[in-house]
Amino acid sequence: MKTDAQIPVSIPAAHAASVEGVTFTYHGADRPALRAVSFAQAAGETIGVMGASGAGKSTLAKCLNRIVPEFEDGDFHGAITIAGEPLEHLRVCDVAPKVGMVFQDFESQLFSTNVAHEVAFAMEQVGMDRAEMDRRIMPALEAVGLRGFEHRDPMSLSGGEKQRLAIASVLALRPSVIVLDEPTTDLDPEGRAEVFALIAKLRAEGLSLIVIEHESEELRAADRIIVLREGEVAADGPPAEVFARTELLTTCGVRPPGLGRALELLGIDAQPKDVDAALEAILRTYPRLAKTLIEGPADSSVEHPPTAAAKNPAFIGIENVSFGYADGPRVLDSIDLQVEAGEFLAIVGQNGSGKTTLAKHIVGLLQPATGRVTIDGKDRTQMRPAETARAVAYVFQNPDHQIFAATVEDEVAFGPRNFGLPEDEIRRRCDEALEAVGLRNERQSDPFLLSKGERQRLAVASVLVLRPRMLILDEPTTGLDHREQLRMMALVRDLNRAGIAIVIITHTPWLVAEYARRVVLMRKGAKIFDGGVREFFMQDELLRSSSFRAPEITELSRRFGTLALNTDEFVAWVKGRA
Amino acid sequence: MPIYLYIDRGTFVHRLHPTVKVFALFVMFWSVYWVDQPIALLPVGLVMLWIAQLTDSWPNFYRLRWLFGILVFTTTIAWMVFYRRGAVLVNIPVFHVSRLSLVFGFGRGIKLAELLAASVLFLSTTKIEEFTYGLQRMRVPYRVSFAISLSFRLVPLFIDSAVTIVDAQRLRGYDFNQGGPLERVRRYVPVVIPVFMGALRKANNMAMALEARGFGFSHEPTTFIEYPVTSTDIMAFVFLIGLGTMNFMFYWTGVGRIGPLK
Repeated sequence: MKTDAQIPVSIPAAHAASVEGVTFTYHGADRPALRAVSFAQAAGETIGVMGASGAGKSTLAKCLNRIVPEFEDGDFHGAITIAGEPLEHLRVCDVAPKVGMVFQDFESQLFSTNVAHEVAFAMEQVGMDRAEMDRRIMPALEAVGLRGFEHRDPMSLSGGEKQRLAIASVLALRPSVIVLDEPTTDLDPEGRAEVFALIAKLRAEGLSLIVIEHESEELRAADRIIVLREGEVAADGPPAEVFARTELLTTCGVRPPGLGRALELLGIDAQPKDVDAALEAILRTYPRLAKTLIEGPADSSVEHPPTAAAKNPAFIGIENVSFGYADGPRVLDSIDLQVEAGEFLAIVGQNGSGKTTLAKHIVGLLQPATGRVTIDGKDRTQMRPAETARAVAYVFQNPDHQIFAATVEDEVAFGPRNFGLPEDEIRRRCDEALEAVGLRNERQSDPFLLSKGERQRLAVASVLVLRPRMLILDEPTTGLDHREQLRMMALVRDLNRAGIAIVIITHTPWLVAEYARRVVLMRKGAKIFDGGVREFFMQDELLRSSSFRAPEITELSRRFGTLALNTDEFVAWVKGRA
Repeated sequence: MPIYLYIDRGTFVHRLHPTVKVFALFVMFWSVYWVDQPIALLPVGLVMLWIAQLTDSWPNFYRLRWLFGILVFTTTIAWMVFYRRGAVLVNIPVFHVSRLSLVFGFGRGIKLAELLAASVLFLSTTKIEEFTYGLQRMRVPYRVSFAISLSFRLVPLFIDSAVTIVDAQRLRGYDFNQGGPLERVRRYVPVVIPVFMGALRKANNMAMALEARGFGFSHEPTTFIEYPVTSTDIMAFVFLIGLGTMNFMFYWTGVGRIGPLK
C-alpha cells in the first residue's frame, strides 16, 4: 500500500539511467579515471557500486549529474541518458531535477538554518511555486523520518539525521535517479543504520538508486553490484554472484562479505544474504553442528578466553575525570580508566559519547574539571609538552589537519625539529618512521599529492618519529578502502608488537574484533563497559542499546554457542567440531 | 559550543522584514561612520544596548567580550602614536599622550566596537536565508547575495578547523608564541596552509553540492519563505531614517567631530 510518505517518481522510460561507453580522463592525469564504462539501470533498480579508492566510483557518480565534465575539467567520451533523455550539453543545475545526488560530506551540502527550508532549497532554485513546494516538503520529510523536525536548525541534527535531510532535499525534486556517494562514511553506527534503513525503504518504494559503498554487507540487499577496477567494470551482476568471486573482490580492494568468505572456506557453495541463511547452509553441510545450536543469544558460560585483566602497573591513569564545555552539559562524567604499557585498546561509542574528549585529556589538549590524568605515574599537568609528546602521540582523524610541509620528509621532521633534536638524529628518526609506515620511497614527494591512505600513514609517521610509548588513533580507517584499511591496521599491529601501546577510537566492529584486545564503551560521557573483546561482543543488550553490532561472523558463531572474532577462527572451530 | 551567532527568539526584532534588518545594519554603519566624538556615539550605542537586551543577544557579546576589549584598548593606544595633537599630559617616548589624542583614540575604539556590535546584533537576529532575501530585495544579484550569506556560514567552520589544526601542531611540539610579532605571524604558516587547503576542498565540495541542487538553474529563484511587510517594519524603517539623519547632523553641525575641521 502506498503511504503519504512515499515519493512519486517520474520514470517515463524503461531505463532510469543508461551509461554507454563512458571514458573520462581528468585534466593533467596520465590515465583515464573511467574506461568504456557501460551499464543500464532499470527503473526501480538499486545498484551498488564498489571498488578501491581511485577505481572511478565517485567519478562515475559525478558523470551521472554532469559534475563531470561540466565542473571537473577533462576529456569525456560516451553517452549518458536519464529516463531516456540524453544529458549531453546540459549544465549540472539542469540535471538536478533528474538526478539527485547525496554526497559523503554532509556539512557541505546543507545551506539553510531551518530543516523545512533546506528541503525547499533545490525547489527554489528550479523556480517551483510556493504552493507546490508546500505540497512536497512534508512528504519528503516523512519519507526520511524527519517529520516534526521542520523548524530545527540542520546544524543541530546528528550526522545520520543530516544525511537523511540531504536525502529528503533531493527526494523533494522527485528525480528519476538518486545517487548516494558513500553517504555513511563519516557516520557512527547509529547514523549508518538510519541511512541504510532509509535506503532499504526507498528501494522498497521503487526508487532507482545508485549507492557507492565500501562495506559489502550493506549492499547485499541491492539488485545488482558493479565493481570497478582502475576505471573499468570488473564485475556486474546480482550480489550473490558478484560476492561469490572473493578472489576478484580482493584484487579490486573490496572486502568480501565475512559470511560468504566463511562458507567458501568451508567448501559450501552459497552466498548467504544474512546470518540465518548462513546458519542454514552450514547445517545442511555439517548437520552434526545442530546439537551445538543455542536458543537465543549465548550467555557468558560459553567458552572463551579470559578477559584482559590488569597485570602491569598503569601507563595512563585517568582518575575520576569529569569535563564539560562552558554552559554545556558534562561531556565526561567521572571517568576512571587505566591503560597499561603495550596494550591494544579500542574506545567505541556513538558520536558525542565523549571518546575524543577523553583522548584529548590524555594528551593534554583539554584539562579535566575534576580528577586527574597521570602518565607513567606522573601528573600530566606537571609534565612539559615535550615530555608528554614523547610519552603519548595523537593521530587526528583527518590527516589533512596537520599536513603543511613541501615534502614528506619535512613533514615528518617537523616534530623533532620543534623539540630541538640535532639534524643527524632527526634524519635517522625520519628514516625509521618512514620505513615503519612504508613511505621511505616517498620522502621527497609532495604530501598533498599522496593518496588518503598514504596521508594517513604519513600522519602516523609524523608522530611516530617522536618515539612515543603510546599512540592514540582517532578513526584511523575512515575514508580508506579495504586494502588501505588492512595496510593501516597491519602497521598499527606491528607498532603494538614493537611495544607501543595503541588506543584506537573507532566505529568499525570488525576492526575491534580483529585487532583490539580490550574495549571501552562510552555513552553520554560515561564509561559503561571496560573489558576484553570477547566479553564485549557477548553483551547483547549493551551492544543493541549502543547501536554497535558485532561482526556478522561473530553473530553467526554465537548462534552455534561459541564466539569467533573473525572468519578464520570460525572456520577452524567448525572444522574442529565437524 | 555553538558555532553560529543566530539566537532563535520570537522578539519583534527577529520578526522584522529582512530588508529592514539589512537596512538597519547599513544605518548603524552609516551612523557610526560620521561620528568621532565618544559622547556623540552614545545614542547609537544606547540603541544597540537596547536591542541587545530586547533580543537576548548577550551570550554572543559575552563570547566576544575579549575582542571588544582588545579593539577599544589597542585602538586607543595606537592612536596615541599617530594622532599628535593637543597639549602633552605625560611624556612617554613614541606616544603623544594628550587629552585630544586620548579622546580621539577612545572614540575610534568605540566606533570599531559599535561596528562589531551592529554585526553581532544583525547575526544574532537574522537567519542566513533572511540575509540573502534582504540583499536580493535591495537589488543585489542572487548569486552575489547568496555568496555573501554563505560566507557567514563558512567562517565558523573554518575557525573550527583552525582550532583542530592548532591542536595537531601543538601536539608535535610547536610553540606559536615564540619570537617577536613578525616571527609569531610567520609561525602560523603550519596552520594557515592546512586551513587554506581545507577551505579550498570544502569550497569545492560545497560548489558541487550547490550545483547538484540546481543552483544556477534560474536567475531568479522562487522563495519558500515569504516575509510580509507589517506596520512594525514601517515604524522601524522611520526610526532608522531618524537615527541615520541624527548622526549625519552630528557630523554636519560639528557636534560629532573632534578638533578643528580637516
